[in-house]
Amino acid sequence: MSNSHLFLKSGFPRAPLQNGLGRYVCQLQRVTLKFCKNHGASRGMREYIENHLVDFAKENPGVVVYVKPRRHRGPVLVGEYLNGDREWLYCRNASKDDISKWLELLKTQNGSSSSLRLRKMWHTDLPSIQGPWTPFTLRSPEANMVTYPNPSASRPLDVEQSATEKLVELFKKQRFADEALEEKRAE
Amino acid sequence: MVSPTLALFVRSKGPDEFWRKRRIFKLAAHFRGRKRNCYSIAVRYVHRALVYATKGRKLKKMDMAELWSRRVQAGCEQYGITLDTFKDTLTRNNILLNKKSLSDLAIWEPKSFETLVKLSRERAVVDSLPGLTERSVMNQVYGLANLKLDK
Repeated sequence: MSNSHLFLKSGFPRAPLQNGLGRYVCQLQRVTLKFCKNHGASRGMREYIENHLVDFAKENPGVVVYVKPRRHRGPVLVGEYLNGDREWLYCRNASKDDISKWLELLKTQNGSSSSLRLRKMWHTDLPSIQGPWTPFTLRSPEANMVTYPNPSASRPLDVEQSATEKLVELFKKQRFADEALEEKRAE
Repeated sequence: MVSPTLALFVRSKGPDEFWRKRRIFKLAAHFRGRKRNCYSIAVRYVHRALVYATKGRKLKKMDMAELWSRRVQAGCEQYGITLDTFKDTLTRNNILLNKKSLSDLAIWEPKSFETLVKLSRERAVVDSLPGLTERSVMNQVYGLANLKLDK
């Protein structure tokens, strides 16, 4: 594969412990918003913190929100998950809408999405409705009751008509045709 | 006085040499031995790896198509019809399922696959196409409809 140099773990899209089947548990444990109070790259982050962060925190009581003002550094979103994963997002020059979308992504993920190569984009617990094919699907249990040697089992599968049989058939057809002609002439 | 000759022998290719080489080393991170760490060796193998990747994209598609064809052939040969006839009759009946879908049906949905095979057998008889064979009744049952279960 040409992406082996990335050393990514591979897996399938899964919900941990069937999350959502019964109760849904938000997998995001804590989110840290680092920003600079002065620099222009953090402007969107600052706007988000001023206007929307408290609502986010109120809507998600299970997520701990940390805000860290850090001078002379770019704005960063760090999400930590219940399985120990850590997702680091550099959102320099991002608008407040972008940051709210990124936070929404962090909230709905169950781990860091960038660290897993998905082998298939889908997952089912029930891949077959009619039952998957097995070697016994088309086998009748009567095959167990057969005693060998068996004449019908010993016959070859596909026997083509031999030349003699073809000639006999042709002869019979011809004879019937001749008989029909004679009958018509008699009439 | 220090001789300037030795210093003159040290030649740098330019200020971007480090990053130019880093581009190659990043692609060679999973190689073995000196191919991973020494530039002049790594370059050759990285170029070969990129060529293999390019060629492999086409080969992967061909391999998957071959795998699916073989699976569909195994499925329809159970019922005594060849793959060519099966595909031909499906197209004649306007069923334009691709190899992937047919192989998935043959594996996971055997009853649906059987209905397709029955349809194709009938069409093959009507259009008198080759590729139909009689199957032995003793050790296989023609289809799931004839399967008798003790209930």
